[in-house]
Amino acid sequence: MAIAEPRTTERAPEPQRHWLVQWLTTTDHKRIGILYLLNSFAFFFVAGVFALLMRTELTAPGRQLVTTNGYNQLFTLHGTLMIFLFILPVLVGFGNYLVPLQIGALDMAFPRINALSFWLLPVGGLTILSGLLAKGGAAAAGWTSYAPVSEQGGAGQDLWIVGLVVVGTASILSGINFIVTILRLRAPGMTMTRLPVFVWSMLATSLLMVLATPVLTAGLIMLFADRRLGAFFFNPAHGGDVLLWQHVFWFFGHPEVYMLILGAWGVVSEILPVFSGRPLFGYPGVILAFVLITALSFSVWAHHMFATGQVEFPFFSATTELISIPTGVLFFNWLATLWRGQLRFEPPMLFALGFIALFLVGGVDGVWMASPAMDFAIHDTYWVVAHIHYVLFGGTVFGIMAATYYWFPKITGRLLSRKLGQWHFWLMFLGFNLTFFPMHELGLRGMPRRVADYLPDLGWSFLNQLATAGSFVIAASMLVLLVNVVLALRRPRTAPADPWEGNTLEWATTSPPPVHNFDRLLEVRSNRPVWDARERARIQAAEGRT
Amino acid sequence: MGVAGLAGALLAGCAKQGATVQGQQIHDLYVLIIILAAPVFVGVEGALLWCVLRYRRRRGSDGRPVPQGAGGPRSLAVFFAIPTVLVAFFFLLGERTLADVQRREPNPAVELRIDSFQWQWTFYYLNEGFFVTGRTLTKVPVIALPVGAPVHVRLEARDVVHEFYVPEFLFMRNALPGRPNEFTFTPTRIGTFRGQCAEFCGLHHDQMRFVLKVVSQADYAAWVDQQRKAAQRVDCDPTGPLRLVSKDNSWNTGCLAVGASGPFVVSVSNQDAGIEHNFAVYDSAKRRRTYFQGPRFVGVAEQTYQLRPLPKGHYYFECDVHGPAMSGSLLVK
Repeated sequence: MAIAEPRTTERAPEPQRHWLVQWLTTTDHKRIGILYLLNSFAFFFVAGVFALLMRTELTAPGRQLVTTNGYNQLFTLHGTLMIFLFILPVLVGFGNYLVPLQIGALDMAFPRINALSFWLLPVGGLTILSGLLAKGGAAAAGWTSYAPVSEQGGAGQDLWIVGLVVVGTASILSGINFIVTILRLRAPGMTMTRLPVFVWSMLATSLLMVLATPVLTAGLIMLFADRRLGAFFFNPAHGGDVLLWQHVFWFFGHPEVYMLILGAWGVVSEILPVFSGRPLFGYPGVILAFVLITALSFSVWAHHMFATGQVEFPFFSATTELISIPTGVLFFNWLATLWRGQLRFEPPMLFALGFIALFLVGGVDGVWMASPAMDFAIHDTYWVVAHIHYVLFGGTVFGIMAATYYWFPKITGRLLSRKLGQWHFWLMFLGFNLTFFPMHELGLRGMPRRVADYLPDLGWSFLNQLATAGSFVIAASMLVLLVNVVLALRRPRTAPADPWEGNTLEWATTSPPPVHNFDRLLEVRSNRPVWDARERARIQAAEGRT
Repeated sequence: MGVAGLAGALLAGCAKQGATVQGQQIHDLYVLIIILAAPVFVGVEGALLWCVLRYRRRRGSDGRPVPQGAGGPRSLAVFFAIPTVLVAFFFLLGERTLADVQRREPNPAVELRIDSFQWQWTFYYLNEGFFVTGRTLTKVPVIALPVGAPVHVRLEARDVVHEFYVPEFLFMRNALPGRPNEFTFTPTRIGTFRGQCAEFCGLHHDQMRFVLKVVSQADYAAWVDQQRKAAQRVDCDPTGPLRLVSKDNSWNTGCLAVGASGPFVVSVSNQDAGIEHNFAVYDSAKRRRTYFQGPRFVGVAEQTYQLRPLPKGHYYFECDVHGPAMSGSLLVK
């Protein structure tokens, strides 16, 4: 007679799953945030290589490297990947990692949707890139894909449309997730008026993602229907309208520009106070500016269409100029934050200061284009290329680099080298200005955008050579960053919880934080809870001594 | 120094004065904006630099308290007020110039219809009765205009969005299929000006160029005369079966000849992937009488057309999709 073996009361330990499976199935906002960052930087690399190929091609008149069709694919993919698969996702990635930490939450509101909205990104991005294998190549109608040029093209254009619908879906989902997280999961004491500025910037970004992205999706579906299902939305021969695409695209596209910059404003508004030892000057003014810009961004779209001659000029030039008022307020507040502070030039601060200096150029050179008559002279020239890069590279990418140096110790538990960070900053600052400043002059000399070649006797060659040289300096600066990251990752985890003397809650937990984020939550009584705690400790220590 | 360099570069760039009445007004606006924007730019960059130099943390300043004031409603109001005043002023300036540039000339000296398509321009001189066009990738159209005379343009597009852009005129305007645009300009300077399409329009966008010569009134009259005569002087001889090949939206020849003996065959090879062409025969570029009109077909493909006998004479053939830029003479001898 067999006797049943006594059962152990202990539960068998969960089988430790393979690390790859863990990463593929994770719903932890920190891991998803890291996945976002890795994925975004991978696309940044690809789109950056495309930019170098373009710059090399434009070094001199004549054909150097790629065919005309190849060049048209390069600028289309460069713009598309940078905007949809690097800048926005990298900001969302930092948001994913930091928003729950900064508001003292355990995770995002919808962890599974969070994972889904991440995984849609590589799928969409690779769909767009897979056009390179299609007959006739990838999409070649520009990142704006104006109809009806975008109705020609082969399968590459269809893959571009499908890929962007997928990426857009990811945006909408993560926008909803952020909004709910920020409105519902804040720690006790974390009122809306104590919310860190970066969280406010992500809230504004999310509103734009949820409200504007569906408009793009609708436009893409119309374009697809025209191409493959025999519809005529954009075909005037059958009662369609070519301007409809431009209206739909820019009604999304201009809020999109603010999705791409608001997060960087948030980052800079976090970093300046920390490294100058001051509170953010005019916190309510900064938030008000964010809100006004978010609202106004839906009313300016047709300033991209002044050259069509068929939009209401005074209205759109007035709204465009209005939006520069809250933007001006941001600059005043940033400067007033630095005023009478004690500035520490750690790499995050260098990039934040670089951001202010360069974003200002993008703000000022945009003033010319806001005036329709002036826009007739420079729209669709390299002036616009200079402008968008001063805003999105001099602005956002410098902000992204500031964020990278600022939060790298929190995310990895390791400190990046200060020396290499300085090299990275100065090379990038120099290379950036060398590449993009001459483009203003190229635009004034009449070089149109998106040309694969130009004539030798137009006086454009030297400026193009400067720009190409600059682009390789930028590439070198990125190598410095890569080396810095690799070296740091090989060192042990020694970063303290709060290496910078930060203000916000992510600095009140270990680096990197535990799975559950906080062992103990700090009391939140202002928008600088960690500063408050440090100050309290200092006062107590001083009292203890006397 | 960087600031001075910036201002210098921008001022040097605006050396381009604008070779039309309208262009000069835009140039004046450009200078006004510089005058308004330069102090803002210099002020903000200067304040930033001042903070960096003045308020850097020095050795020994550790522990010294940093002022923790963060502003109030008053600073907020000032921060909003300053840009508001600037923007209002700037808006009014811009509107004034816009009205001048958009004004339409009631009695233009030249009426042009500019037709654009992948990747070429056709300039129709409506009152003079001829047109000028180029051949994609091989011949850039060259047109002449009289100095000091207002030119009225009606700008159209046949396939996708293009853009008429002459850098020296400081002016560009989209050519939109189904939505013609009209504008006026008055050249003020004799010279040769280059123009090109500024809105990305597909594969050979970068090659879609034209040359605009602004000449004296007398030279203009001579040029018009010469253009009219050239239109009637084409000649070639019959050399066997008629064959037309389109590549990059250009025919391989501008002249076909056939003996007046009976029906004849024209074979058309369309080498332009995804683009429609056809073959049609008219009395002249004015297309008052149609002798033959073949169906349109998408490349890459080949079609053969049977034509009825035509009386001896000089006919005009074209691809209806692309008009005079894909046209030529059909001589029945």
